[in-house]
Amino acid sequence: MAATHSLKGIRIVDLSMGWAGPLTVRHMADMGADVIKVESCERFDWWRSWEATPEWIEDDGAEKSVAFNLVNRNKRDITLDLEHPEGRELLLQLVATANAVVENYSGSVLPKLKLGYDVFREVRDNIILLSMPAFGSTGPWSKFRAYGSTVEQSSGLPHLNGNADDPPTMQHVAYGDAAGGLTGAAALLVALRHQAKTGAGQFVDLSQVEGLFPLAIHGILEYSATGAAPPRQGNRSDHAAPHGVYRCAGEDEWVTIQVFDENQWQALCTEVGDSLTEFGDLQHRLANLEALNGAIGHWTIDQDAHELMMKLQGAGVPAAAATTAKRLLDDPHLAHRDYWQWLDRDVVGRQPNPSAPFRIGDKPIPIHSPAPTLGQHNEEVLGDILGLSALDLARLTELGIIGTRPRIPSQR
Amino acid sequence: MQPQALAGIRVVDIVGTISTSYCAKLCADYGADVINLEPDEGFATRRLDDFLTDAVRPEKSAMHAYLNTNKKSVQISRVDAQALIASADLLLDDGSDDESAAACMAVRSSICWYGKSGPYADFVGSDAQCFALNGMLRGIGPVEGPPLIPTGYQAQVVGGLTAFIGSLTQVLAGELGNRTEPVHLETSIHESCLCFTDVGVVSSYNLGIEGYRMGLNRFPPTYPLGVFPCKDGWLGVTVLTPGQWHAFCELLDMNEFTEIALFETSVGRLEAVDILEPVIRERLLEHSAEDLFYRGQEATIPLARVPTMEELFEVDQFVERRAMSQATLADGSQLTVPSVPFRLYETPPHFGGKVAGLGEHTGEFA
Repeated sequence: MAATHSLKGIRIVDLSMGWAGPLTVRHMADMGADVIKVESCERFDWWRSWEATPEWIEDDGAEKSVAFNLVNRNKRDITLDLEHPEGRELLLQLVATANAVVENYSGSVLPKLKLGYDVFREVRDNIILLSMPAFGSTGPWSKFRAYGSTVEQSSGLPHLNGNADDPPTMQHVAYGDAAGGLTGAAALLVALRHQAKTGAGQFVDLSQVEGLFPLAIHGILEYSATGAAPPRQGNRSDHAAPHGVYRCAGEDEWVTIQVFDENQWQALCTEVGDSLTEFGDLQHRLANLEALNGAIGHWTIDQDAHELMMKLQGAGVPAAAATTAKRLLDDPHLAHRDYWQWLDRDVVGRQPNPSAPFRIGDKPIPIHSPAPTLGQHNEEVLGDILGLSALDLARLTELGIIGTRPRIPSQR
Repeated sequence: MQPQALAGIRVVDIVGTISTSYCAKLCADYGADVINLEPDEGFATRRLDDFLTDAVRPEKSAMHAYLNTNKKSVQISRVDAQALIASADLLLDDGSDDESAAACMAVRSSICWYGKSGPYADFVGSDAQCFALNGMLRGIGPVEGPPLIPTGYQAQVVGGLTAFIGSLTQVLAGELGNRTEPVHLETSIHESCLCFTDVGVVSSYNLGIEGYRMGLNRFPPTYPLGVFPCKDGWLGVTVLTPGQWHAFCELLDMNEFTEIALFETSVGRLEAVDILEPVIRERLLEHSAEDLFYRGQEATIPLARVPTMEELFEVDQFVERRAMSQATLADGSQLTVPSVPFRLYETPPHFGGKVAGLGEHTGEFA
């Protein structure tokens, strides 16, 4: 059976928003789980916009968010006003048919809606609830707010990056979000496996900040093992020289070169030529790093970064061109591997979608549907699963409990 | 007491890379029977520094200890190894040895730097390369360059975590009856790291523009965002929404900024960074980071303490949650390591655990 059916028969109610939670659930959707994303017309996924205006609504802005569309493919989407008793009741009816619920609200939101693990258990006693707040569901910071950037800041990782004289240095791209999404998927799968084996559900508590500790592990362990944290030392490594990012031909073009052993060093010397003959073993190179980096930088500065990468890698030297986001769509390696899958989507047209990062065989796992539009599957889900009639749906629409257009939140 | 969530699953790791080891660690810490099939010299992780000063080689690598709690270590002949591999529900390797893996009857999960096809397939991989080739490196560091390499083993850990998702899915698929044949899963560490930048890729495609490096701790799409000095330490700041901006202005007593329309949007503030930054920096230096952190969070602004390595072991939040636990090495020495970052309440993970000495469990399988 195809990988897209691996999780066939599993249903997940996705209450999550932003990046981390939806990415967690997208992994389930990619592998065949029936994922139903629940938004509301007023409390729509904030990744559609955090600055919604009437003009944005008029312009179909809710359907144009690249970020939203990338992490919500292969899902169905319904709207339910969870602050309305009837909307809340319909959510619980849906939960009663599901294996798991995923949420990443700040700690106060579910209680305010009179929802939570105990409530979900009343309608489905073996439900799994994956809760993934930034700092976890317990502890004095459990209700604190965070974005992916906050998660990175809170993980200690910035103290391991950058130059000694600079502040702790962030990698950003909302680093904690994507990492949290992966960790969430891992957590959910562990719970689903246990549920499949024993029939039992449970509460799963994920701290996104703790999820970044494994990415800061080199610093954490050095402190733990030696009692001293590693210093920030820019692109320098104590185990490799050269180990840096070198300017190439063109504006802001760079190549990384890292030499971890003597074979790689000899290969680099062969490529570079005479200017490296004065440098000896690793200790000598580390002691003369400025001169070494100067010699290599002098050699790279007129060369094309991509061509240089291919040449050095061909010689067995670890090297990589510092590519740009835009160029990744044309990256020859990713193109060869059919990594980008192009799908038509309402409002935005034909769009590239990243494949799942694992594959079976030569081809990536196919993506069967683009991200849904707001409330696209109201009729399908509420009708087919919960048995609501067209008349019921019309009444819910009239009450504003369901809908397909966002609204500016009213003050309630 | 319920059995642990992954009890009954046998995992065999025949390469012991950081990626396979992290994938297997998640399995082991949740109760799977994980067996490291090690060569004479042991897995390469045993030779990674930093080393515990009072432990004995080859059992003193902190990284090896972290990655290998609750696993078994076996050194057996190739013939016996085939039987062990045949008994595995999940075989972890790097895709380089099809002959050894041929005995796998269930899920073979190969984790390699660039996948087994494509022009980069034979590249000598590294963590830094993955961040160069996913477009992230260019955004880190000062405007004038050079871009700053993210340190450590981040790409390999991400690769292992990603492979865990694919691998466990396939094990589960077998148990659910959704997979009836053996399967060979391939995870590219490079592609695993594209999850950090794919939004930027597709945004560039739609907007027709290229991102650029804005400077140290300065990133789109908002300002203020970064790590800022305070009177007594560092504060992590992210201000995105209009509400957070107003609350941040209130916190730093700069309410006059709330009346300026340009500053109401994240992009507008980023455009006006040269006006805002001197004032914000000056105000932040008047306060303690800890005080601002708590007062800011109370006002629903996502501010952060930026803990040092030392503080990670001491902060109440992490201590209360047992975010760190003890790994016990083969010689009995102890090392504090991060616990599994997710908790199943009914079937909790092992917190820390024992690290097998090289070949310690060979007798069970020879």
